[in-house]
Amino acid sequence: MKKSLLLRKNVVPYLFILPLVLFYLSFQLYPMIKEFQMSFFDWTFNPGKENIFVGWENYQHIFQDPKVKLALKNTLLYALITVPGQMILAMLVALLIDALPRGKGVFRVLYYLPVITSWVIASILVRFLFNFPKGIINYLLLDVFSLIDAPINWFGAPGTAFVAIDLLGIWKGIGWSMLIYLSALQGIPKELLEAAEVDGASPWRRFWSVKLPLLTPAISYTLILLTIGAMNVFLSVFLITGGGPQQKTEVFLSYLYHQAFEFFDFGYGAALSVVLAIGLLIVSILQYRFVGKPERLR
Amino acid sequence: MFEKNRVLVLSLSILTIFALLLAGCTQAATVPTNDVDMDDSAEEPEPAEETAPAEETEMEDEPAEEEPVTVTFWHGYNAEVETPLLENEIIPAFEAEHPNIKVESVNQPYDEFRRQLIISLNAGTAPDLARIDILWAAEFGDTGALVSMEEFIDNWDTYKDKFLPGPLATNYFNSHYYGLPLDTNTRVLVYNKAMFAEAGIEAPPATMDEFVTACEKISALGEGKYCFADGGTYLWAMGPWLWSMGGAFTDPEITVASGYFNSEQSVAAYEWMRMMVEKGYWHPGILGSGVDSWGGFGQGEIAMLLEGPWFPPSFGDQFPDVEFGLALMPADEAGPVSVVGGEDIVMFQQSENKEAAFLFMDYLLSEEVQLKLSEAGQIPVLASAAESDTIQNHDFFGIFLDQLKYAAARPPHPNLARMEEVYTNYSGYILAGEMDTQEALDAAVLELDPIMESR
Repeated sequence: MKKSLLLRKNVVPYLFILPLVLFYLSFQLYPMIKEFQMSFFDWTFNPGKENIFVGWENYQHIFQDPKVKLALKNTLLYALITVPGQMILAMLVALLIDALPRGKGVFRVLYYLPVITSWVIASILVRFLFNFPKGIINYLLLDVFSLIDAPINWFGAPGTAFVAIDLLGIWKGIGWSMLIYLSALQGIPKELLEAAEVDGASPWRRFWSVKLPLLTPAISYTLILLTIGAMNVFLSVFLITGGGPQQKTEVFLSYLYHQAFEFFDFGYGAALSVVLAIGLLIVSILQYRFVGKPERLR
Repeated sequence: MFEKNRVLVLSLSILTIFALLLAGCTQAATVPTNDVDMDDSAEEPEPAEETAPAEETEMEDEPAEEEPVTVTFWHGYNAEVETPLLENEIIPAFEAEHPNIKVESVNQPYDEFRRQLIISLNAGTAPDLARIDILWAAEFGDTGALVSMEEFIDNWDTYKDKFLPGPLATNYFNSHYYGLPLDTNTRVLVYNKAMFAEAGIEAPPATMDEFVTACEKISALGEGKYCFADGGTYLWAMGPWLWSMGGAFTDPEITVASGYFNSEQSVAAYEWMRMMVEKGYWHPGILGSGVDSWGGFGQGEIAMLLEGPWFPPSFGDQFPDVEFGLALMPADEAGPVSVVGGEDIVMFQQSENKEAAFLFMDYLLSEEVQLKLSEAGQIPVLASAAESDTIQNHDFFGIFLDQLKYAAARPPHPNLARMEEVYTNYSGYILAGEMDTQEALDAAVLELDPIMESR
């Protein structure tokens, strides 16, 4: 009995996590190491051909490549627009749902639906909605509301193309943050809110001075994860504009993909992804430092 | 109770590990198999494989002398006409002739084709054969992924003579033939007869001036009517206009772009194209947002397209009531020049069934099959087939064969993908009116020359 208890304590737990560890080692850690290695080579995809060691050449190339700058700018802009967009709207929705006397579950599901919708389907839908000249958005703006004089060629210029891409990103992300805010809101002790009410605090005051400070860990958590997510934007751009026209809507990952899978320049692609990973790590650490510690979320 | 639980947990964990390991193994060893062919189930029952060793002595004089092999063939044949023809007629006929060879046809959409090929080459699971864009033979051959035909085929010197020289040459790079031609094509002008009649245009434009006149009449039909549409500013779209007006992408030896892509004629050609977009004659989808050109053409919104020989059968399938005509590319100072397209068939070094694969390759290149494929709009690459009565008296091949006489090729270069990006970008800048034409072309050649040299 004693022996078996020992075994139970020391071995069995590890057996439980073993499958996931194996999965992590083979599908996460190994590719990461391999990629790091590849970034120092002129890597060919053909197993029979030799890969040439080039040292830091791929990394040097990144800093001289004007398109990397453009892609980085586009990615940052996407993050700057969609991350606050998602957070503010998600907060609004969470507050509204939290205030509902009944039917919370239904609305929670409704707002969460876009999150589980496939990026592929949503992106193709956006292509149709923003079609030029006959998409429904052009129709609404032109014929129904008369806000414009001529149909807009949405995907013909980067500015308008990103309107569509950003809207998709925000729409699709609201539900996820909403869910986190909602559970955090429900975790706020009722006494605090009641005390504030008794003291005569207005609803706005109650939100600003009571709820918001208590939501900081949740906000910080979503901020970090949404930023990482936004910097990794790929499928929507890839499917909606393909980086075009003339590569002006290229984001970091679509450009990386382009280098690796269009030009077979796997070494350069790997170097780009290493740089992105390091950049994200730094951004996350800074956010963690200055916005608050997400692990206080309980 | 404890004991029982522990045993359960342990055995479950072990099972999971095994399952994972197994999954890993099968994934690595996955070779496309074809044994679940529903409609062929009448042939041999498959489970025979397991019982066979025990009864080997009995089965000795059965036909199973050679092991049946599977040849995987990747292609991008269209789903409307070409793939059914391949899968329902050509492959069964081949398999009937060679009972020990099964051909697995895998359709890969054009956009994904290159990536899928790279991924599978990397994983060591490349197909045996693939029908690839003529532009890719040099590139893939240069990486060492392809079998050189002149080394593989014993009687190469006589074998190669059966092909038309132009399509054959698309396989040639660095003194190797990395594949064999499979079909050839070019783009001709397709016009919507109803729109032409409505606009009062009597004949398809034979010159660029007539093209402009036709566009004036089409755009007089009202808003939302376009004279011409194309999907982007890549070489396949720009080539016909640029070449016909005497411009060029590179020198004839394909070593430099400067002096050619920014020549006086090239500038004039791009100025003209920019005007077409500015005036709204060309659909703005060419600037990169894309356009459903067949839909627009079928619905009477786009009057002209440049299309290949797959157009008549496949478009006719989708829009049986729309009448269209075919004509040569409008001519300018260099004549009515269009762009050569087509596909090559290549064999991969990774193939384990090269002999069987070659049998299928050779079969696709027989006169009989080449003529069969021509029913789906595939122009044959065999000299004998091209001269046959079927092709000479074909409903619409005539115009394509005429156009092929004036067709130019996109520069065959292993770095073409990179070059094409530069061409596409700068053509876009010009057509969108974002850059002065001369400035844009001068900037383009500065980027192109080093890419071309780096080989």
